[in-house]
Amino acid sequence: MAEETLVLFKNIRNPKYSKSLEGYKKAGGYHTLKKVFGMKPEEVVQTVKDSGVRGRGGAGFPTGLKWSFMPKGTGKPSYLIANADESEPGTCKDRELMLKDPHLFLEGMMIGCYAVGCHHGYIYIRGEFFPAIKSLNTAVEELYADGLLGPDPLGSGFHLDLTIHSGAGAYICGEESALLDSLEGKRGQPRVKPPFPAVSGFNGCPTSVNNVETLACMPFILGDDGVDAFKSFGPQNNSGTHLVSLSGHVKKPGVYELRMDVNMKDIIYGIGGGIRNGKKLKGVIPGGSSSSVMTADEVDVLYNFDELAKIDTMLGSSAMMVFDEDTDVVQLLHRITRFYAHESCGQCTPCREGTHWSRNIIRDFLNGNGSDEKLRRLDRVGGNMLGTTLCALGDAAALPIQSFVKKFPDDFRKYYANK
Amino acid sequence: MPVFHIDDEPVEFHPGEKILSAALRNGKKIPHYCYHPGMSIVATCRICVVDIVDLGNGRPAPKLQTACSVDAAEGMKIETMNQKVEEGRKLVNEFLLINHPLDCPICDQSGECTLQDYSFEYGSGKSEMDYSKRVYGWRDIGTFVSLERNRCIQCSRCDRFTREITGTNEFGMFNRGHELTVDTYTDRPMTNKFQGNMADICPVGAITEKEFRFKRRVWKLKKNRSICTGCSTGCNVTIEHDRNEVFRLKPHENQNVNKWWMCDEGRLTYQIMNERKTRINRPLGRVGQNLQDISWEEAYRAIAERISEMEPTGNEVIALTDTHASNEELFLIKKLLKDGFLSDNVFCPLPKWEQRESEFFINTLITTDKTPNRAGALALKIKGDPGNVEVKNTIDGELKVVIVLGNPFETEHEIQQKIKPAQLVVHIGAYHNCWSEIADVVLPGQYYSEKKVTFTNKMQHVQATDIVVQALRRSRPEWQIIVELAQSLGHKYSFSNINQVFAEMAGETKAFSGISFDQIGDQGMKLTQTFKDTGMKLVKAPA
Amino acid sequence: MFSKEIQNQVNNLLSRYPFKQNALIPILLLAQKENNGWLTEEWMQHVADCCEVPLTHVEGVVTFYTMFRLKPPGKYHLQVCTCVPCCLVGGTELLEYTEKKLNTHAGYTTGDGLFSIEEMECIGACSYAPAMIVNEDYHEQVTIEKMGKLIDKLSK
Ligand SMILES: Cc1cc2nc3c(=O)[nH]c(=O)nc-3n(C[C@H](O)[C@H](O)[C@H](O)COP(=O)(O)O)c2cc1C
Ligand code: SF4
Ligand code: SF4
Ligand code: FES
Ligand code: FES
Repeated sequence: MAEETLVLFKNIRNPKYSKSLEGYKKAGGYHTLKKVFGMKPEEVVQTVKDSGVRGRGGAGFPTGLKWSFMPKGTGKPSYLIANADESEPGTCKDRELMLKDPHLFLEGMMIGCYAVGCHHGYIYIRGEFFPAIKSLNTAVEELYADGLLGPDPLGSGFHLDLTIHSGAGAYICGEESALLDSLEGKRGQPRVKPPFPAVSGFNGCPTSVNNVETLACMPFILGDDGVDAFKSFGPQNNSGTHLVSLSGHVKKPGVYELRMDVNMKDIIYGIGGGIRNGKKLKGVIPGGSSSSVMTADEVDVLYNFDELAKIDTMLGSSAMMVFDEDTDVVQLLHRITRFYAHESCGQCTPCREGTHWSRNIIRDFLNGNGSDEKLRRLDRVGGNMLGTTLCALGDAAALPIQSFVKKFPDDFRKYYANK
Repeated sequence: MPVFHIDDEPVEFHPGEKILSAALRNGKKIPHYCYHPGMSIVATCRICVVDIVDLGNGRPAPKLQTACSVDAAEGMKIETMNQKVEEGRKLVNEFLLINHPLDCPICDQSGECTLQDYSFEYGSGKSEMDYSKRVYGWRDIGTFVSLERNRCIQCSRCDRFTREITGTNEFGMFNRGHELTVDTYTDRPMTNKFQGNMADICPVGAITEKEFRFKRRVWKLKKNRSICTGCSTGCNVTIEHDRNEVFRLKPHENQNVNKWWMCDEGRLTYQIMNERKTRINRPLGRVGQNLQDISWEEAYRAIAERISEMEPTGNEVIALTDTHASNEELFLIKKLLKDGFLSDNVFCPLPKWEQRESEFFINTLITTDKTPNRAGALALKIKGDPGNVEVKNTIDGELKVVIVLGNPFETEHEIQQKIKPAQLVVHIGAYHNCWSEIADVVLPGQYYSEKKVTFTNKMQHVQATDIVVQALRRSRPEWQIIVELAQSLGHKYSFSNINQVFAEMAGETKAFSGISFDQIGDQGMKLTQTFKDTGMKLVKAPA
Repeated sequence: MFSKEIQNQVNNLLSRYPFKQNALIPILLLAQKENNGWLTEEWMQHVADCCEVPLTHVEGVVTFYTMFRLKPPGKYHLQVCTCVPCCLVGGTELLEYTEKKLNTHAGYTTGDGLFSIEEMECIGACSYAPAMIVNEDYHEQVTIEKMGKLIDKLSK
């Protein structure tokens, strides 16, 4: 029976834990930061590379490698930006960290800043997260009062400022280049890449954008024996624990910290307590709404990056949305597609027109105007967004459409079969 | 220069240049909507997809790439016409057309609409979108252009134009996703002086020139290269016309002069080209109070007879010209006075003028010198000074012969009063003005859209005009009139075309030496010897 | 236009970025708060001046982000999530119930100005669905009964 492995949630799961600076320090906090200040930044980056940690924001890109792309000696400041925009439907793990253990994330962020030579880090947090913003604000104030932020944290002489920057409601600002435009005070529209943020990011300076959870792993990874321990939590190339946002028709939804070698079945039936109301499982959206849907037959698989990629879906932000046999998947897909139509920034043609059009086609089914022809068209319109857009939102909208049509064609047919 | 291959043909590129830019410079066709060489790259329309079959390292790109945003690389091989690419374009066009009103029959852009062109070439021909389309109303958004947003394809060129080119920021993109629109906000009309360019760069008929609305179908228009003579910048233009009527001026790219742009005031000069009421349409001779029709021969004969009767000395002859006269005309009038009367008395107004300085290039197009050939007059050493002091001193004595070219000193009553009593006033020009009123002989010239001549702009580039519309039947180009006048006075001038005049001018004037008329071509040529114009003052463009 | 306290926050924000424009969105949020939850052209112009950007730019930004409002919200702004996980466990029904109970629709404010409803895309509380935000506070695992009681309480 699967159970949690507590690395990031070590403090949170401790009922006596106080999330204040004092409480965090008592639990051993900011110890690793002190150690890190004694290392060379390159050594920090190398350690992170060795740990094999992959970004938890959705793309799973190796963090150490990303940091090593940051050019040095450009004469411009370097930036580290924490991506706390958490808006991918199904995902609610970064909020958990920021609300309940803000200092863990902040220590990780400070380690990251040191590693990439950033003296002023920004935390781009979605504007609706009022409680998390308050929690972070308090924590940052504590750090300034304590001298952990400012001109000389822990006597390191490494001047470091952190600023919490509130977004204002736009899923697309989770995409890193849109995030940067938004942070600069513009409409959050993704940029053409290359240049990548490492070369030209915030205000044109070298920038690394990292997810909150990714950064929260740093105090562990840089701690004593951290690399080996971190790697031991999962198969090769899938190291560490990850925070799984479990939602939908399970008995015990919640955010759980799991190793990367846990079977999805165990997550649904063990951790999640099985399907509510004695119903049967129909399918799972495994990695945030942008991932391809899986049927009940497919869930006997290890829940990690590589195993999910093998079956043509993805781990994404580790957000599992479970749905039972009574679920109307056409409704579900309609809701997903409506989300992308609402959140498309609209600058590029296939996404602006395709998300809206596909939503209209799905609505036709719901209104009793479906047909074989329209099902094919839906698949085609979805496919026409795949790989043709400027940013990955087009793919994110296309993958659910194509996978739902492929895996649940009968559910669509039901809507027009008897006519 | 490094080389890459487009459809198996070698194409040279500048290091760092994008595939699309190199392709277009080399005359290759790749469809594009959002890309504009003068503005930032957004790569959002997605129509410019190409298949990179070799990235230069032996490996292909994993999927179609947008040519506007990918750097060309040595050894790269791209295909622009294979099936994958055609399908890529087709799907983009299909997406664009689902919300397009398809109102080509009533659209002014019809015939020069990239959407229409590409849809015809690459589109699937049918749209499966049977839902209601976005609907917005037609709106008057500025002094010069209007907006029909239903036709907009959200390429953001107009938005980038007011941000990056004029810096006036009156236009923007609002909302997002399917509701993304371009507009001025809350009905504030635009005020920038370059709005016509927005109609030019809009790839569809969403932004159109009000002046041109519903006037003519575009494909009926004939086009000629020329320059705008609205000011001393001399923006390169195409003059578009039909049945001897000019409909509009469009800027023509010239990186040394106007890049891709021109100002709205310049565009409006098309109206003068169609002006008939004030035109001088035949030679006229004064009989008592009135001007009467005469023939060219009678006119020349009359002038020659009067002059031989008077036997004027150099001091008693003067020519006044404006700086709308071409280089050749200025050269010839000067030559005529020298050869015929040993006189150097050719004057033009040379007031001080202001040149705008600005971080936005386009603002520098505007100058206060509204004549096209001040620099030509300076290069040819036509006399003049800001206060017209010298000309006033010269006309203090008794004048026998005055030749006036165009409409110089139009606000200088003192000069006009002193010229009036002169024994013979000859006015050569295209339009009636204060000079034709007092002239004894009036000779009908031609407007610059009717003749081939050259002007020297404020940057001292020599640029040529072309014959665009047919001149009035009994008019003649001014250069020819001066030549014929000289001949009737007994001089052996044997210029039969403008090239010959130019050649002689280049032979005798240092500034033009070494330049031939044919060399000027599309892009103009810098004067061989340039000089500083002391009448110019740099001023900051208003923010 | 800002109160003294908020002006201090604005000044602090401006000092924390390399360019004034960078602070635009946080300052707009403050302005919106100052003006009871919505933005007027006057406020946008004021923020444009603070951040040294053209008004059109501010308007482009304001119409891009969903949290900026161009009409006044109710005293209690009920932001009900109906996105995927919430919709799986009753978010849509919750919204319908709320609309019926308040006799208005998402996007509108009740006649007495007390409540406005907004249908939200995922608000990042999916494991605690259905979720909603009232002004700045999260409410999680909201049932129809809970919603009814809450509205009754706030109506008093
Ligand atoms: C449409 C879209 C939305 C995204 N939203 C988020 C988000 O909310 N949070 C996040 O951390 N990453 C998000 N990402 C991924 C980021 O672009 C980026 O890869 C990530 O922040 C990098 O951090 P990591 O390497 O630590 O994962 C999104 C990507 C796309 C294409
Ligand atoms: S794919 Fe969608 S969200 Fe991404 S840039 Fe294009 S329109 Fe914007
Ligand atoms: S109005 Fe024209 S130029 Fe502007 S975005 Fe639309 S299509 Fe492009
Ligand atoms: S021209 Fe390349 S994407 Fe528009
Ligand atoms: S779907 Fe409602 S909070 Fe995520």
